[in-house]
Amino acid sequence: MNVTTSRPAEHERDGMRTLIAEAGAELLQSDAGTPERLSWLAQGLLRRSPMRLWEILRTRDTADIEQLAEPAALLSALAQRLLEDGRIRETEALRESATRWHVRLDGRVDHGLADAYARAGDTARAEERLRDLMKREPDNVDAVQLSYKLAKVSGRREQAHALLNRLVQMDPSMASAAFAYKERAGLGEGAGRPVRIAILSSYVVDPLIPFLDAECRGVGLSPSFYLGGFNQYVQEILSPSSALYSFNPEIVFLAVALEDLFPDISRMPPVEALARGHDEILERIGTLVRELRTRSKALIVVHELALTDWSPNGILDNRQPNGLVGWVETLNRALTESLAPHEAYLLPLRQVVGRVGTREGTDRKLRYMARMRFAEAALRELARYSMRYVKPLKGLTRKCVVVDLDGTLWGGVVGEVGADGIQLGPTAPGVEFVEFQEALLNLTRRGILLAACSKNNPDDVLPVLRDHPGMVLREQHFSALRIHWRNKADNLREIADELNIGLDSLVFVDDNPIERELIRLVLPEVLTVELPRDPSRFRPLLEDMSDFEVLALTREDEMRATGYQVARQRQALERASTSLNDYLHSLELRAAIGRARPAHLHRLVQLFNKTNQFNTTTRRYHTADVEGFLRSAAHHVYVLRVADRFGDHGLVGTAVVHDTGDTWWIEAFLLSCRVMGLSVETALLKRIVDDARSGNATRLVGEFVPTAKNGPAEDLYRRHGFRAALGAQAAIRWELDPRVDRMESPTWISVEASDA
Amino acid sequence: MRTVEDVVATVFGVERRSIDETSSPESVEGWDSMGHVNLLLALERNFKLSIAVADAIEMADVKKIKEILREYGVRA
Repeated sequence: MNVTTSRPAEHERDGMRTLIAEAGAELLQSDAGTPERLSWLAQGLLRRSPMRLWEILRTRDTADIEQLAEPAALLSALAQRLLEDGRIRETEALRESATRWHVRLDGRVDHGLADAYARAGDTARAEERLRDLMKREPDNVDAVQLSYKLAKVSGRREQAHALLNRLVQMDPSMASAAFAYKERAGLGEGAGRPVRIAILSSYVVDPLIPFLDAECRGVGLSPSFYLGGFNQYVQEILSPSSALYSFNPEIVFLAVALEDLFPDISRMPPVEALARGHDEILERIGTLVRELRTRSKALIVVHELALTDWSPNGILDNRQPNGLVGWVETLNRALTESLAPHEAYLLPLRQVVGRVGTREGTDRKLRYMARMRFAEAALRELARYSMRYVKPLKGLTRKCVVVDLDGTLWGGVVGEVGADGIQLGPTAPGVEFVEFQEALLNLTRRGILLAACSKNNPDDVLPVLRDHPGMVLREQHFSALRIHWRNKADNLREIADELNIGLDSLVFVDDNPIERELIRLVLPEVLTVELPRDPSRFRPLLEDMSDFEVLALTREDEMRATGYQVARQRQALERASTSLNDYLHSLELRAAIGRARPAHLHRLVQLFNKTNQFNTTTRRYHTADVEGFLRSAAHHVYVLRVADRFGDHGLVGTAVVHDTGDTWWIEAFLLSCRVMGLSVETALLKRIVDDARSGNATRLVGEFVPTAKNGPAEDLYRRHGFRAALGAQAAIRWELDPRVDRMESPTWISVEASDA
Repeated sequence: MRTVEDVVATVFGVERRSIDETSSPESVEGWDSMGHVNLLLALERNFKLSIAVADAIEMADVKKIKEILREYGVRA
């Protein structure tokens, strides 16, 4: 685009040219070959002839392109210029080259291409570019907007609705909500479940509707709205033939402003006036709710009454008989009581508006100009809060929260840092997780179930659940536990089955974006929470969700979690012996066990020095030690390789046995944590017992030296029929008689000998 | 967009030129524990994000701040 506003005279232009040429020549001579210089030249060419620049660049390789100071900016600008000149083919070629050069072009290039294709009527190509763009830049509003337009003109109604949902989610402004609301009217209804919502008000609430519409669409509802005439709520409720009743609402919001019920409120009313006002307001709203109840089965939600202004009594308000703050407080309490018998709810308006701040949330000018009360931020908050009534009404309450453990209920990875190392306690970092757990515990009091799903070793996790002083949640608070290494999608399905609820009743909370992505992809009906990296945001995020509301609390709700807990304990044994067995068999485990050779030296030293958990004695042998064992006839070093149907785990276990003739001492026995819980240790131990027997040993002795981390190896010998012998200091000695004691490998492992 | 160096310079009221990747509480006047909290708030405002306490503790110098911000998806 060459836009020239004023054209310099011919001789002036000549002068300018000379100047630029001179400047260019100077630049060419100084700092020859710097990226800045090359870029400067390329920039000039870009302005004069983008095609020429493209001709030069197209034949270059990555090394040349890397010479440029900011290749991404330059190439993106070039692509934009080519697009402006209508050169789509060249832009595509440039886009391909950029990928080859490892340069990431600006998202506007893909958008520009999509736009050009769309205008040329090539919807397929346009959408392909948009898909690329949205994959790369999920927050690109322009891309979603253009995708929406394409879906709309191609008549793909469901997709168009879904894209509008996404648009409002990305840009939750009034403008975007209003745009979406208007567009939907033209699109025709989507596939959502209908819900009929009436709003009756003493002021103008029209702008609330687009926000409420967006909220409903986001959870799969197709709302229709009845908006009462401005300040006609009394007539509409009292007249049996009003349009309100023929609309047959499922939920009615009654939003009446205090100053509309009691205009004198802003003029420092005396005590008698306040008392009269109190009675009149109660009587008026009470009558309306009673009438509404007799004519409609709708859920009734009355907005709480709120003061708009500071009290005219100033700081003395709460000492004056005509104090307003206390008066409103009492009025709302009386209102709550009068509503309860009619199954009507009082919406805590002051708290809702307070979330965004009264100053941001209310707008006097809107009131004077448009008879509105709330500004954009408060309307959005009010729509969100209103969903707390709509969702339970439509059976959209989520019944169970499935939480991950590491990084979600506490900071750090317990399998790495141990129970003492995790962040969980009264100070930060750690207190964030304690408070998050409190919020989860509060949900259980409302009858919402908790389940844990974590890729971990139970031996690491259970001590934390049972004994860690920072834990608010204990084992008994969880209605289902899945602590092992299987994929979380299967676990979520199992949890839903076990608790006898639908997948659409689950909420999934996990700090790992990969797990979240998996669940979103595989189980879209599960609500996956986008957990931020900062754990101080966890609790507010959970409490802001409107998915855990119940319209009434029964004793059964409060007891529910306990009931599941008992059932879980009953089923635990049975499940452990059946499904775990199936799982282990399904792995097709193969163990190769043999004597160590010099080729294993490096890996063995690594294992001896890195293994903390499954390590009976934690003796740190170094290269010279291991070389010594390999040369010594009195030492047998065993190596264990493990493979399963997913692949080879490599050398993952070893044992050092000291052979003193009659007695064989197991001086070290260790397993990498990669293969813990598969019982491969049994195969290795069996081999040692068998060898001791053929070596005519009468005693096989195993030692255990406890450390802070080697709990997983603690019961190795006990589990395998060794008898406790005397312990020297901290060590505990276990022994068996290889002549009589036999050991069997688990049926799910096929064992082979790998001796040279 | 303002860089980490820009934010550090503004928060501690020092010349932008005096700040580089090695700048740390040792080298910047006023970067004490209270200054660190002010810096944290300024970074959150500038990059529009919320930073975990565990990460804030790790922010020992400008280079480390950039590394941590990258974990939040900021191209710093």
